[in-house]
This record gives sequence, C-alpha cells and structure tokens, in this order.
Amino acid sequence: MIQLFHVSKTFGPTAALKEIDLRIRTGEFAFVTGPSGAGKTTLLRLIFGAEAPTEGQIVINGINLSRIGGTNLDLLRRKIGFVFQDFKLLSRRTVSQNVALALEVTGEKRSVVRKKTHQILRAVGLAPKEEAYPIELSGGEQQRVAIARAMINDPLILLADEPTGNLDPDITREIMVLFRSINLRGTTVVIATHSRELLRNTDQRIIVLHRGKVLE
Amino acid sequence: MAKLRLWSTYFKQALSSILYNRLIYAISVGTIAISLLIFGAFVLLSVNVKTWVQGWGQTLSISVYLKDGVDEGTREGIRTAIGTLQGGEITGFVSKEKALQDMKGMLGSQAGLLDGLTRNPLPASFEVAFRNVDRVKFEPKKIKEALEKVTGVDEVQYSEQWLDQFEGLLYVLKVAGLAIGGLLCVAVLFIITNTIKLAIYSRRNEIEIYKLVGATDWYVKAPLLIEGAFQGLLGGLIALGILLAIHFVLSFKVIQIFGLPFMGFVFLSESYALGILSLGLVLGLLGSFIAIGRFFRF
Repeated sequence: MIQLFHVSKTFGPTAALKEIDLRIRTGEFAFVTGPSGAGKTTLLRLIFGAEAPTEGQIVINGINLSRIGGTNLDLLRRKIGFVFQDFKLLSRRTVSQNVALALEVTGEKRSVVRKKTHQILRAVGLAPKEEAYPIELSGGEQQRVAIARAMINDPLILLADEPTGNLDPDITREIMVLFRSINLRGTTVVIATHSRELLRNTDQRIIVLHRGKVLE
Repeated sequence: MAKLRLWSTYFKQALSSILYNRLIYAISVGTIAISLLIFGAFVLLSVNVKTWVQGWGQTLSISVYLKDGVDEGTREGIRTAIGTLQGGEITGFVSKEKALQDMKGMLGSQAGLLDGLTRNPLPASFEVAFRNVDRVKFEPKKIKEALEKVTGVDEVQYSEQWLDQFEGLLYVLKVAGLAIGGLLCVAVLFIITNTIKLAIYSRRNEIEIYKLVGATDWYVKAPLLIEGAFQGLLGGLIALGILLAIHFVLSFKVIQIFGLPFMGFVFLSESYALGILSLGLVLGLLGSFIAIGRFFRF
C-alpha cells in the first residue's frame, strides 16, 4: 500500500507537487498522467525515496519514508522496482549481468542469482539473448531487460516512468501486457505516462496530475 | 557468507574499474611510486648516515691527557674512571717521555727542533677504545665531559669534528626528509583523490543504477576505497623495489668520506619498509575517502 499525506515538493521557488493526498492499494494497477511538468516523475521519485518531500508524509507498506534513511531506505528499495524511459542499462554488461545486478547487490548466492536471472529472462521472452549486450537489442527488448531487472527481487511495487516513451505502438502493447501480467501476480504497478493512446482503452485507475495537484 | 560474497564483488568491481581506466591508474601509481621513492630515499640515506655515525662512534678512540705531575694514585683513579665507562677499554698508556719520543719519530729529520726544549711539554695520556657499545645510547660528548671532571685529567680529545659534521648532516636529512615527505604526501593525496574522482565520474551512470536496484552506499563506496588502497600500496611496493635495486647497486661500491670507509650500505629495516607501504596504503585510503566524500555522505 502506498499512502501520501499532504505531500508537497518544491525545487527552489518552483512547486512540483502541492499537498497531495493519495492512496494506492496493494495489488492495484494505476496510471499517473498529466502534461509535462505536472509532477509525474517527482511523484514516482518520492514514492521510491529518491527525493524527500518538502512537507507531508509518505508511507510504503506501513513504513514511513521520513523515518528511515541510509541503509534501511536502500533495503526498502529492493522491494520497489523502477523502470525508466531510457532503460538505464549498463552498456558494458550483458543482458543477464544487467538483470543479475539487482540480486548481486543483496549478496545472494551465485547459483541462486544465475537460476533466478534465467527464469526471469525466460518470463520476459529474452532467454535466447542472455549473453547479448544492450546495444545489440531493440528498444523493446532493452525495456524488457529493464523490467526483468526490476522484477527479479519480486518487488511489492513496480514504478515505471514513461516506460513506453521510446517504443513503437506494437512494442508498447507487448510491454503493457508484461506489466499487466506482473500486476496479476500481486505486484502493485504505478505507471507514469503522458500517452493518451495508452490510457484510451484502459479500465485501470488513472491519477491525473496538473500543476502539481491531483485531479483524479 | 553473504558478506564474503559481497567483498568478492567489491574486489571484482575494483579490479574491473582499474583495468578499464588502466592508463589513468598507471600514471597515478607511477607518480605515487616516484613520490614515495623520493621520500624513501631520504629515509634510506638518513638510516645509513645514522648507522655510519654510530658505527664510527662505536669504534671511537679517545685520548685522555693527564695533568703534569700526576701521582700514581691519581693515575689509578683515572684508570678506574675509564674502566667504569661502558665498552671503554684502555689500549695503552703513553708516558710524557714516550709522547716526546713519538713526536720525534713523527718529525723525522726535523727532530732536532725539539732538542732546545728545557722541559717536556707533552702530556701523558691514556688511549681508550670503545667497542661493542650500545649504538643508540653511546654519546662521546658526554664521555668527554665526564672524564674531564676526573681529578688529574687535563683534556679529553676525540674526532668530534667529523662526527659533529655527520650529526649535522643527519639532522638536515631528517628535516629535509620530513619537509619534502610532507609535501609529497599532500601531492600523493591530491593525485589519488583526483584519480578516484575520475573513476566516479566515469562510473556515475553505473553508480546511479546500483542505487536504483537497492545497493547500499557501502556497496558503491567499498570498491572505490579498494581502488585507492591498491594504488597507494602498489606505488609503495614499486618505490621499495626501486630502493632495493639502488641499495643492491650501491652495496657493491666502496665509498670513502674524509678517508673514513663507509661501514656498509644497509637497507631499510622491516619496520621502515612496512612504514612506507603503510604510508602508501593510508594515503590511498584517505585519497579515496576524500573523493568519495565529495559525492556521497558518510
């Protein structure tokens, strides 16, 4: 469960978010939308703990982010997957090494890392490309690698910031099917997008942000 | 077990970064090695000069000149006083007559010059040698002062001029070594800090992704600290290797100063060698620490 209580975030004189009250239930699938500069990315970064709110409280699965910090925040992040528009893959690492990274940082056994990496890559349809480098993959494949990396720790929450922004409509559909299947396994999925196409035929919850305020 | 695996990952990451930025690291390690070599050369020279001074002092011969007309009892008192000196051993007594005779012998054909003397002006003396004395505690000046207070002793002479010169040189070497060493340490610190900063810049995307997948700060910092420590340690090892080679070459040479043969060219003791390595290690860690501190909070 994600809960935001009167959350505001300012960057210097600019207010990115203003007194946001929001609740996203466990296992929910929600879109966050709004024009550029509405505060979508800031909202996701606050939920991830990458930014601290200027005012208000954020509670993730009962843990108040303002009351934890340092290593505890890092440990919490292992339960929150994050997917970006630009994939954020390491170019010097192979597909499997990129995915394995999320488990390696936990000090997990190598045999477990290998097994889980292989399983998750099979799940996203990239098992044949385990040894390829990101540059050898298409945009859609790179995004699937990023999703696999976000999913390998079985996160409770999956955040995605414009995950289909760089992809064509067919690949976008594939990626959205993948997110849906992840959600069906019980993971809360929150996707920030400004794509009207993506929202047109959805029956999922849509949270609209405008000038830092929720217009849901 | 998980911690062990993480440490293995830290070392792998550090090694991978060093290999990837090998040119920068090679330049950095080379500069550290040269700096520590200069510092080590000062230490080596100081250690050797100290050994030589002490070595010469160790086999020092002194002459204890007696006042004229000293009776047998006083002479025995002086003999006893010399006997109480640690490592002191009377190698001979030169009477006034013997001293004059020796002088005549030294003057050779000019010995006739002494014929006009109405009385023998030369004093009697004890010749004393110091052997197997404690190098650190041995202080010829104090011996001179102590003996000159003994009744019947007129003067004590030893080759203090060159000893003083070398003690002066030793002091200059120590001061110069400390001053230059201090400056070089600052330079080494600056180099390591910048190398690690470059490593952080070249890996900033990687670091961002590590944090994204829940890596702790330590997971990011540990490989950088290892890289700094490795640079310092390797620089120290290279400096010691070059010093050892220099020592090896010099140990075959016979050098003399003021007609005094060198007592041999010694290498740095284990504690000094470890000191130089530790200095490299500490500077490496400190440099990394400073660089990391600019990017992360500890």
